[in-house]
Amino acid sequence: MSDRETLERIVFLEGELLDEKRFEEWLDLYTEDAIYWVPATPGQKSPENHVSLFYDDKQTMLARVTRLRHPEIHAQLPASRTCRIITNVAVEAAAGSAASLDVTSSHMIVEYRPGWEQRIFAGRCRHTLRHEGGRWRIARKRFDLINCDAAFAALTVPL
Amino acid sequence: MNAYSPTDLKALVEEERIHRKAFVDPDIFRMEMERIFHRTWVYVGHASQVPQPGDFFCTRIGLQPVLMVRHTDNTVRVLYNRCAHRGARVVNEECGNAKRFQCMYHGWIYRTDGTLAGLPMQADESADGFDFSDPDLSMRPVAQVDQIHGFVFANMSPGGAGLLDYIGEARHAIDEFVDAAPDGEVEIAGGCHRYEYKGNWKHQLENLTDTYHVIATHASTVDPDGKQFKRRSGTDGAEARFYDDKKRPVILDIGVSVYPHGHSSTESMFPEAQTGGIWEEYRRILAAKRGPERADELLKQKIHNLTIFPTFDLLVVQNAIRVIYPIAVDRTEVRIYPLRMKGAPEAIFREQVQYVNLTHSASSFVQTDDLEAFDRIQVGLATEAQDWVLATRGKKRERFDNRGIGHGNKTTEIGLRYLHQAWLELMCAE
Repeated sequence: MSDRETLERIVFLEGELLDEKRFEEWLDLYTEDAIYWVPATPGQKSPENHVSLFYDDKQTMLARVTRLRHPEIHAQLPASRTCRIITNVAVEAAAGSAASLDVTSSHMIVEYRPGWEQRIFAGRCRHTLRHEGGRWRIARKRFDLINCDAAFAALTVPL
Repeated sequence: MNAYSPTDLKALVEEERIHRKAFVDPDIFRMEMERIFHRTWVYVGHASQVPQPGDFFCTRIGLQPVLMVRHTDNTVRVLYNRCAHRGARVVNEECGNAKRFQCMYHGWIYRTDGTLAGLPMQADESADGFDFSDPDLSMRPVAQVDQIHGFVFANMSPGGAGLLDYIGEARHAIDEFVDAAPDGEVEIAGGCHRYEYKGNWKHQLENLTDTYHVIATHASTVDPDGKQFKRRSGTDGAEARFYDDKKRPVILDIGVSVYPHGHSSTESMFPEAQTGGIWEEYRRILAAKRGPERADELLKQKIHNLTIFPTFDLLVVQNAIRVIYPIAVDRTEVRIYPLRMKGAPEAIFREQVQYVNLTHSASSFVQTDDLEAFDRIQVGLATEAQDWVLATRGKKRERFDNRGIGHGNKTTEIGLRYLHQAWLELMCAE
């Protein structure tokens, strides 16, 4: 398998784990210092001085997954079902590090929760992958939704 | 012709229960727009969103489009965002800066005070005696505009109580909050969170004064030790506890106060001042301006939130405001705007931005549960076999002081009872 295919597979695998609600395995794809970021405004420059839909470090991601497994998480009773298409994948070298590469991709996610209207999320993703402990892991994910500044109904599952 | 007479309306709001029609009937929603949103003080924006002449911010009051704009004389104006000619919305961007506003349809041009400045092929019109000073040919100003600490409110109707009288004693919580900014000013910064739900706008309003729902609704955010996820930085005073060491719900000790006109406040679940880290720097700066004792007092954040009826909520603990935007009887948008405490360390602002991501974004650990409740209430209230929603809790224990401020605790529903009394009073005024 070429390097390019290996890197692509990480992005596809992440989507698969999320769609299959294998959240613990999803967490394990991320490095311990990882950042998971979904900006709240187009072209958002910083997560520090502007609100974000998600801006999670690993600890917050873990809290999110723990909550998703809680028996009384009302906003997921019943749970969302998602299916996503990931395409237009491109591999870029990250600035300044051979052990780190950026992969960009386009995502379309359809979410259905019984009793609620089906929703579509679409946007461009940038994964920063780092080779660590003999495998590639996600050190950073930025997902720019085309409607990131819209009013949303609850976004209880990670995108 | 309104579907409900004052007698009909009074039958919808009893002391301890509210009729389902108040939340599900489109006729009630239409009357609310006319009698509440067009007749009382409604939050529009903060003056810091329009710092320079020509800066504008588009929003709405009820369902009507308005824009807040700083005029060349430096005053903040609120205008209806509607062309005098054929009615198109003139300003189409949410915010920006303009010397003049030009309608896209036929090109009519307005000054930042709404007066008509010119129109295409003007020479021909002037020849016909066209009167540029006619108010009907302007972007009309909203009848009354006033501010408190830069928070701009407008009232579409003339007369009645002024803004400060309307807010009344509830203003102390706003004064205290702003006093915790070392420069004595706050500003809106860091964008906003927007969420929506398929439910009536009053579900959100009730929720702001409802300490009773916390334990059940937000069960999934509490760890087995009774502490919620860590919400703020610093070494102490940063964790919200839902249960004390004896497994007693902490929320029982949280007081709720109600003020005339339907405003309310709830006490904080963070009774201790935060210490450690950047909070020491903040304390030092504040103490230099206010004195050490006053600084300690201000940093304790005794109030969790203050709600000004009908749509404004100051989230003291989050350093943010929440604004409710009704869309239809069963659809509502809500926005959360972080506030920067001017003069405080920038790290404090950045931390508050992260904090509000966790508590009030559409993906947050807390808000998602509330949105679920609002959606389910609207579905449940379709039940015609049962007319009433209950707000009975703590009725016997509620006490009013000599300023007319009511108090309760032990997860009282006092706030719900009195916001609906304020609602009724406005709705019944012919």
